[in-house]
Amino acid sequence: MKSDGSSSRGTPRPAGETLGESDRAHFADLLVAVAERQDRQAYAELFGYYAPRVKSYLMRLGADNGQAEEIAQDVMVTVWRKAQLFDRQQASVSTWIFRVARNRRIDLFRRGKRPDLDPEETMILPSGVEAPDARVEAMETETRVRAAMKDLPEEQVSLLRLAFYDGLSHREIADKLGVPLGTVKSRIRLAFAKMKAKLGDA
Amino acid sequence: MIRVSQDKLLDDTTRAALASGRAEPALSLFIDTLMEMRGICDHEGEMIAAAVLETETPAAMSPNALDMAFAAIERGGKSNKVRALTYPELGDVPVALRDLIRDAEAKRDWAYSGPGIRRLDLGAKGPLKLEIIRLDAGKAVPWHSHKGRELTLCVHGEFSDSIATYGPGDFSVTDGSVRHQPRAHDSAPAYALAVTDAGLKFEGVLGAIQKIFGQ
Repeated sequence: MKSDGSSSRGTPRPAGETLGESDRAHFADLLVAVAERQDRQAYAELFGYYAPRVKSYLMRLGADNGQAEEIAQDVMVTVWRKAQLFDRQQASVSTWIFRVARNRRIDLFRRGKRPDLDPEETMILPSGVEAPDARVEAMETETRVRAAMKDLPEEQVSLLRLAFYDGLSHREIADKLGVPLGTVKSRIRLAFAKMKAKLGDA
Repeated sequence: MIRVSQDKLLDDTTRAALASGRAEPALSLFIDTLMEMRGICDHEGEMIAAAVLETETPAAMSPNALDMAFAAIERGGKSNKVRALTYPELGDVPVALRDLIRDAEAKRDWAYSGPGIRRLDLGAKGPLKLEIIRLDAGKAVPWHSHKGRELTLCVHGEFSDSIATYGPGDFSVTDGSVRHQPRAHDSAPAYALAVTDAGLKFEGVLGAIQKIFGQ
């Protein structure tokens, strides 16, 4: 397993870029293979791509190397155990794994203790109740979100990242960027409105 | 009683807080439950976050990480024996809430809180208290007397107060100015998920509540 997250069999995927449609379909195939026949090779490839990224996400949130490794591991074990709950019509693998990681983070925050490597316990998972129409749209939205992120100016993407991914409050973003709070609010509103407009384009 | 529009419930700030996992745990669970019960999906925020995850610079895992994951998988979780819920009708509530109820029941009993009224503290970390309140059929609760705000979501059954009737997915926001005395309908028990400030003021403790619930 190479440390850049590529697997020995898959095409190496550079850091810093979102996945293309065929890669997303490939990862969905892999997770379905894990769900349906406990395919270890498929799992290894998913692990190679996602574990280092989830770890990086956790370190960005302030976990140290050891904690981040442990929680990332824990998240990936959950991915194996709950794989049958994945519905490729409803979310990309990235969205699904992000939710598992995000919910693990909430769970740890709620309990206020370190993970005990028991991913079965009160793992908050998306319950996946959705109207049939919403399911079809979900995959289109996945594609459009990535397209929109390419089109938005870097400054706006970075604001969306700080808010939706890092989870910083507007005040914290203002402090971090050294701009007035009102400016942050209006810029985020603008960036999100632009994103929404692009998502609305059929 | 404060009326809340869906726009306010899901403004950018709230969506970002929920998508990133940064929201106050009690509030996050309350809103997730509410959204799920109302069939509101807000996946765009999560999809943005997921796309960002793809662009993340990978942090190398230790060389034996995959082997350790397989070892953990083979050890298996604790046996799949799932604790039965004290009140089986709560099996229908959204999964995240149901898991939390199960988890809380493993640690504590439903507390007696007056004739026909029981409450279970869901043990949310943070300044807000998250609990589920059970009203026996036909029972009314003199809703505790503290002065702060309370968010109440009907998760099962039906109850009414002087203002409205609440079925699953209906919620209210009250402050100390309202005498809020829900009564379960005569036919069946009712359950409410409640977020309160645990004796503190919402204001200041949680700025988000102002953004979400207006004023």
